[in-house]
Amino acid sequence: MKIDRRGFLKRSGAAAAASVLPVSLVKLAFGQEQSAGQQDFTFAYISDSHIQQIRGAQFVRNWDQGLKRAVAEANLLEPAPDFVVFGGDLAQMGTKAELDHGAEFLSALRYPLHCVMGEHDYYLDLGEYWSELFGDQWYSFDHKGVHFVVLNSVLTYDEWTFERWESPERRMQEMAGLDNPNGSPFMVGERQREWLRNDLANVPRTTPIVVLSHSPLQKIYKGWNFWTEDAEEVQAILAPFEKVTVLYGHVHQIQYNQIGSIAFHSVMATAWPWPYPSTYAQSGAYVPVMTVPMNRADPFNERDATGWQFIDVHTGRAAVHYTLYDNKNRTVAYNAATGRPEDLEYQHPARRIPPQAHY
Amino acid sequence: MRWMLLLVSLGAAWQAAAQPLGLPPVPIPEDNPQTPAKVALGERLFNDVRFSSTGTVSCANCHAAATAFTDGLPVSAGIDGLLGTRNAPTIVNAAYNATQFWDGRSPTLEDQALHPFVNPVEMAMPSHDALLEIIRGDREYTRAFRNVFGVRPAEIRIEHVTKAIAAFERTQIAGDSPFDRWYFGGEENAISDAAKRGFDVFLGDGRCVSCHTIEQDHALFTDHRFHNVGIGVNEMQDRIAELAKAFLIAKAEGIDVDVAVLSDADTSHLGRFAVTGDLSEIGAFKTPTLRNIARTAPYMHDGSLATLREVVEHYNNGGVTPADAPVNPYLSGGIRPLNLTEQQIDDLVAFMESLTSPQFEELVEPEPVAALGGRRGQQ
Amino acid sequence: MRRLLLAIVGAAAFTAAQADEFTEADLERWAAHFESVAQEGRRLWTSAELGTNGVACGQCHPNAANTHPETYPKFQKQLGRVAQMWEMVNWCIRNPLEGTDLDPGDPRMTALLAYMAKERRGVPIEAGKH
Repeated sequence: MKIDRRGFLKRSGAAAAASVLPVSLVKLAFGQEQSAGQQDFTFAYISDSHIQQIRGAQFVRNWDQGLKRAVAEANLLEPAPDFVVFGGDLAQMGTKAELDHGAEFLSALRYPLHCVMGEHDYYLDLGEYWSELFGDQWYSFDHKGVHFVVLNSVLTYDEWTFERWESPERRMQEMAGLDNPNGSPFMVGERQREWLRNDLANVPRTTPIVVLSHSPLQKIYKGWNFWTEDAEEVQAILAPFEKVTVLYGHVHQIQYNQIGSIAFHSVMATAWPWPYPSTYAQSGAYVPVMTVPMNRADPFNERDATGWQFIDVHTGRAAVHYTLYDNKNRTVAYNAATGRPEDLEYQHPARRIPPQAHY
Repeated sequence: MRWMLLLVSLGAAWQAAAQPLGLPPVPIPEDNPQTPAKVALGERLFNDVRFSSTGTVSCANCHAAATAFTDGLPVSAGIDGLLGTRNAPTIVNAAYNATQFWDGRSPTLEDQALHPFVNPVEMAMPSHDALLEIIRGDREYTRAFRNVFGVRPAEIRIEHVTKAIAAFERTQIAGDSPFDRWYFGGEENAISDAAKRGFDVFLGDGRCVSCHTIEQDHALFTDHRFHNVGIGVNEMQDRIAELAKAFLIAKAEGIDVDVAVLSDADTSHLGRFAVTGDLSEIGAFKTPTLRNIARTAPYMHDGSLATLREVVEHYNNGGVTPADAPVNPYLSGGIRPLNLTEQQIDDLVAFMESLTSPQFEELVEPEPVAALGGRRGQQ
Repeated sequence: MRRLLLAIVGAAAFTAAQADEFTEADLERWAAHFESVAQEGRRLWTSAELGTNGVACGQCHPNAANTHPETYPKFQKQLGRVAQMWEMVNWCIRNPLEGTDLDPGDPRMTALLAYMAKERRGVPIEAGKH
């Protein structure tokens, strides 16, 4: 049985094929013309590794394995992505030992690395050691005609950060519990919003913007800090731009949304999955209506409902390819016809499968 | 009273023949219903050595009925003793598999039968047409094909051949093991205490049941999925990057996956990845059934583990052999060190030995094959 | 004899009156008992003491979400048979948390179950649902 190129493409499907074939294939999937001045490119995204120290040199094996595997597989991407982003929460309790252990895993990546800060990295020492390892907590850079902005979107009210807790360790512990009623909502804060306004002041409205953030820059469910307190203000700063994509971590699940000109995509965690907020019966919460949930996790397989992703940027819009373990991989891409991100396979209600509804 | 017992046991025997204890009904595809004539034809085709370039190899060489439809070798040997790269899976209960082959590259029994005929290290026929020529020249075959499929000799196609073979394979099901009689049949003494303890390990500390699944009233011992359990890929983990890339380029350029995976051990170790190109399936292989496992040694896709104890130790080590070897980063999320005691390992082996169906109870030594001292297949 | 009968009937009437009466104060007190056990369940939920690898139930199940106590007993894939909630709790303690089983009657198991059920209050029973 011979497999010719056409047969190979048909058999492996768009999602898998995109890992080995040129980005031009993504272009063909949408039938769009290429805008002048913009190139297509791919970058990888690994997030929420939560390296957790038990004692001494002993770390939670499960989270170590998750990060190791994501790094090993990301290194296999062909053609190679332009760079890789780490999306935050490298450590669990923000200790030097955890950050070092995580950084060691990340050092095996064979691409340039840009890092986004998460609350588990921040609240022990307010990012001091993180900055030593990875640089600025917020910054921007340009790549092939796209303007990238990295935010520290896990700040919170000054009183909570500086006055409420008797020690940094206690503060970190209180922020570490997702459902902790003593927690405090994330925000970007006035200082960074000011910086963002200035950073974007001279960027043409037609330049595609990609914002890398840990918190969602939306208000999804406050009880689990799937929340950014000043989401509306941040969105207002981004709104004038024609093509904006926000990529965020923290939620450990597939979410996507469109607000105005801004497409939002969450990225998967390498460590462990979280249920959707709507599954907490007392929450009254929901996820964006257009999100097709990821398959419910089987707790036996430590990697189920974890994963990593690579993102194709084409005409300034993003297509997120989720590499999922023991599941069919999924692609959520911006659909120009409907003006919002959609899942290539499951978006239509008739195409959903039971594992996406059995929450 | 005795005649009642006789009736009951006869009834039970008939039931067993109709539906073995511990198994669900065999799935039969709509386009290939079972008939006795088709099954008999399939058995004949299965055993026919003329369907090989040297006239010496049939399906039964590697899938020998007397040895639970395996050949007792680490990897199988085809014509001229050419060695492949993979351990022959048993045909017994293969009818329940969602896909066929260690890497699931065939969706059905019918499709699976197409490949060994034309694989260079198996039967090495130049084409399926060569097979059909032999069939058309055989009076008994043409009569049988007309009887079963209503086709004239010139109309016989390879699909008829594979349908008949698949129909025969669908009759090779076996349950009624001591475990079945104990767990589903309620026979308190059907298995030893060690096996009962081993079953606890299977469900508990051994973590086996999550992939080697059982259900309320039957047990197939497979989840039909693909998992990297650290066999083969461990030794070549430093070479994975270049090998995966080279393979995908070759595949896009048109090589035959079936030929490639049997011709080279490194390619074989890529597992499911070679079929799907999916980065998350490097080194992943299909969960095989555990039924009759004590009769289908050696174990794993490359036959690299000789005994059940070695298998359990491999899992106990967290997917490495020996214990201090480096774990490969693509390891399935279900695999991790188990910290079983020696007793638990022994008991788990005892449990697995209780999964042998009565028809394979007697241990038969495999036929010696020209494989010993044979050379590896070359492209 | 009559006096004895009267005494017996009287005693029965006396005890019968006690058996199915409870006051608002009783209800409050008993609800508080439940609350304290559920709170202990919450404490266990977020602590690392049930396992040996530092992982807590709450890491994967914030507010006990996605535990689905209302669906038990049901066929539990990980156990290969129809099972009860507490058996699955033990499975989680053994597997993701790498700890040891709790007896079904262990106060800690009761506390965990109480916490899960409390966070799931109001959801109709759907025994057997996957």
